[in-house]
Amino acid sequence: MKLNISFTHLYSFSAAHRLYSPVFSDEKNLQVYGKCNNLYGHGHDYTVEITIKGEPDKESGMIIPSTEMNSAVNNLLSELNYKHLDKETPFFLQHVSTGEIIIQFLWDELNKRIPNRLLYHIKLWESNNNYFEIGEDI
Amino acid sequence: MSGNVTISKKFDFSASHRCWKEDWTTEKNQKWFGVNDSPYGHGHNYELHVTVIGSIDPQSGMIINLSELKEKVNEILDQFDHKFLNHDTPYFNDLVPTTENVARILFQLIDKKLSGYKTLRLKKVRLYERHDLYADVWRDTE
Repeated sequence: MKLNISFTHLYSFSAAHRLYSPVFSDEKNLQVYGKCNNLYGHGHDYTVEITIKGEPDKESGMIIPSTEMNSAVNNLLSELNYKHLDKETPFFLQHVSTGEIIIQFLWDELNKRIPNRLLYHIKLWESNNNYFEIGEDI
Repeated sequence: MSGNVTISKKFDFSASHRCWKEDWTTEKNQKWFGVNDSPYGHGHNYELHVTVIGSIDPQSGMIINLSELKEKVNEILDQFDHKFLNHDTPYFNDLVPTTENVARILFQLIDKKLSGYKTLRLKKVRLYERHDLYADVWRDTE
């Protein structure tokens, strides 16, 4: 019987953002984004569940060295942590920082940084009450 | 009525383990396992989610009686609870008790335990080693 094995580690970062799209008028922005359009921004403690899938290494019993996964993720999240996303991070100077866009950014960046196409799924919690997912189902 | 229905139950056990290979250098151990942990091991409150899939019995309306599932899984977890996994269980003498490996062993043991049932089978286990660390194991052909 062949088994699939995945491994998930939770990480977190805290950031401010403001939902605002330059293609909308100020009125339309307020209408679309509501309180998330607040002029001076607002923030979240984001939690990210990063899942990798692959056959665990025969010797170590792990899919990827712990330090390799942690440094890939932590290096990326340090670019966002304690920042105002829309004012201080290059990607979100150009893109609206909705959960949908943030999770796509994380997916693309981590695929570059985690080797062997091991990245399988990401779940991004924007608050305790809403989350976004990308990748294969787990 | 159609659609596949699954039933899941949560279990917990507390155990210590040590992820370390004696024939590796300290540097290599730290690269893979991340911590230079105590030679005497360290412990976790593990949480196990067991998911079963099967047909619903027309009389009882259930896939499996939860108290039966509880009894069968706990027979296995009794070997793990309040134990040092490396030494007190037969499974990790030559296998590092990483989250992945403990989850895989638990899948295999529970799957075997449920093999007597003709109308259901184990679909998936999720093992939380800590609240921020877990492994999933599921069959390749679903």
